[in-house]
Amino acid sequence: MEYDENGVSIVPSGFKREIFEEARKDFRYEEYVRGCLNCGVCTGGCPPHRFFDFSPRIVLQNMKSKDPELIWTMMDEYIWACFQCFTCAMICPFLNSPGGIIAVLREIAVRRGFESAKKVLKPYSRVLLKLTAYGNQLSPDMIQPDFFPDWGPHIGYAATDLAAKRKAIPMPTLQVTNLSWDVAPEAMKELYDIFDEAGVFKIIEAVDPSLYEIIQDIVDDVRSS
Amino acid sequence: MAENILVVGGGPAGLNAAVMLSELGVNVTLVERDSFIGGNPKKFKYKFLFPDMQPADNVIGELIKKTESGGNIKVYYSSEVSDFKENGKKFDATIKSAGGSETKTFDSVIVATGFEHFDPARDAKYSYQLFDDVIDIKDLERMMGENNFVRPSNGQPPKNVAFILCVGSRDRHIGNQYCSRVCCTISVKQAIELKEHFPDCEVYIFYMDIRTYGFFEDLYWQAMEEHDVQIVKGRIAEITSGPNNTVVCKGEDTLLRGPFEIPFDMVVLASGMEGGPQSPEISSKLGIELDEHGFLKPENITLSPFKSNKAGIFLAGACTGPKAISDSITEGAAAAMNAYTYAVKNR
Ligand SMILES: Cc1cc2nc3c(=O)[nH]c(=O)nc-3n(C[C@H](O)[C@H](O)[C@H](O)COP(=O)(O)OP(=O)(O)OC[C@H]3O[C@@H](n4cnc5c(N)ncnc54)[C@H](O)[C@@H]3O)c2cc1C
Ligand code: SF4
Ligand code: SF4
Ligand code: SF4
Repeated sequence: MEYDENGVSIVPSGFKREIFEEARKDFRYEEYVRGCLNCGVCTGGCPPHRFFDFSPRIVLQNMKSKDPELIWTMMDEYIWACFQCFTCAMICPFLNSPGGIIAVLREIAVRRGFESAKKVLKPYSRVLLKLTAYGNQLSPDMIQPDFFPDWGPHIGYAATDLAAKRKAIPMPTLQVTNLSWDVAPEAMKELYDIFDEAGVFKIIEAVDPSLYEIIQDIVDDVRSS
Repeated sequence: MAENILVVGGGPAGLNAAVMLSELGVNVTLVERDSFIGGNPKKFKYKFLFPDMQPADNVIGELIKKTESGGNIKVYYSSEVSDFKENGKKFDATIKSAGGSETKTFDSVIVATGFEHFDPARDAKYSYQLFDDVIDIKDLERMMGENNFVRPSNGQPPKNVAFILCVGSRDRHIGNQYCSRVCCTISVKQAIELKEHFPDCEVYIFYMDIRTYGFFEDLYWQAMEEHDVQIVKGRIAEITSGPNNTVVCKGEDTLLRGPFEIPFDMVVLASGMEGGPQSPEISSKLGIELDEHGFLKPENITLSPFKSNKAGIFLAGACTGPKAISDSITEGAAAAMNAYTYAVKNR
């Protein structure tokens, strides 16, 4: 990797072209990027547009420009501002899907383990662990104030005495706090096969190698049981 | 013996065709669906016409007068062609009206069934019919024709008004990919009329492209230069209710401000033109072609825009696509000439 006088890495233009070509070869590209009237109706309906300097119209215009430089500028922060709500696709008079092409670019960032993807996925590592290793998404012990500040002022209380609170729930809840429900080893093995086939483990390896190792240890244990 | 020619539709195109044919001594039968003639300009009481703001009466009133006084035009009001058959090179048509049904043989036929205004309620994001103060250009044309310029919700003069262009046009979701050609000019014209009436009212036009083609551009420049109409590039994504009985337009100013939400006293939607239900109906009744936009299809759009694909049946006006009155009148004359030639040849 080359660096400029400020120590910022210089990304070769050939690499930027490769990223663009990868997006363009995606089977969804033709459907998501058609023509563009530059009308801004997608942006007018886009929720994050009201909070950030972010515009799905710009995303589509950049794609239409076929300029690898312009597309590269979006890979770092821009594409991560989208909520994936697809309002843009619902109202674009050209039937473009700016949200769709953003998903394609994000997938490239994740597959290639770009820093931006690592940063965005970091807070989700516990979710990824539970999901890929046990087939559960959230378990009671994950409810901690640091991780869910958006759950409001009572999150601190919600996180205490988990075992007692679980017992108070009148439905069968396994009475455990580290899982939401029990998953049979056969089901877990099947899940792992699916994740293998779909390349999920590969993606995790690219964005979070240490998490990948922890998950693989569990996977090996279950598979050999 | 004089020729017999059938004209279907009594708008500017059909009326001019009828008048010209009658001047040639032809017996004209004019079938009009409505109880009056004059087409959309009459129905929506257009008062002043672009490009030169002349009173609509100069044009429409004049055509109606000539039609009604031209001795050999028989007008059937509230009527329709209920049955239609080819008869050699001629045509047998049954005309159904309040007075009963009549079948006649015609030497040729002119179809001038015009257009329908796009119904903005079909595009939910504009909240037409939800808010009283969201109207469209045909509503405003009619209101101004009745000398009524005020807000429908409370009868007060508006402090600010937004025009939204391309409603029902250039939109794949709606199914109309084409440009309706006249709505930019109508909006600019109406913006000027509003400013002349309420000089203190702020008028905005939200556009994707301003298509005041040819000499209509004069009105666009005049709107900016003389009336300070604000022209903003960006399509409106949503209309919601706002404070103090306003309606809020939400969108992106793609050149200057970025995101905006502006409350307006009144919003005018520039609804486009559609072929309406009459185009497919007349197409199947007469056996002539419909195009992919829902209008009638000319035999050759450039060489013979006034001919249908069927010999002896001619087309005129907005039934073949969005156009201004002058073009409709020109086509009425062209169709008249061709229908007459066909009739004389097959005498
Ligand atoms: C809001 C608005 C404002 C406009 N202002 C201007 C302007 O200022 N200047 C300008 O140049 N142009 C203007 N236009 C364009 C103008 O309205 C059209 O160019 C013109 O009306 C077309 O004339 P036409 O005769 O082809 O069709 P129409 O005016 O649509 O007339 C068609 C007639 O045929 C009748 N008809 C339809 N189907 C049948 C049937 N099956 N049987 C019998 N009769 C039938 C209809 O009832 C109608 O009377 C405006 C358009 C709009 C939408
Ligand atoms: S999908 Fe993304 S770009 Fe599209 S409207 Fe939603 S947040 Fe905006
Ligand atoms: S809504 Fe569609 S056509 Fe309009 S700016 Fe966005 S992507 Fe382009
Ligand atoms: S004339 Fe103007 S408002 Fe009408 S469809 Fe064309 S661009 Fe849109």
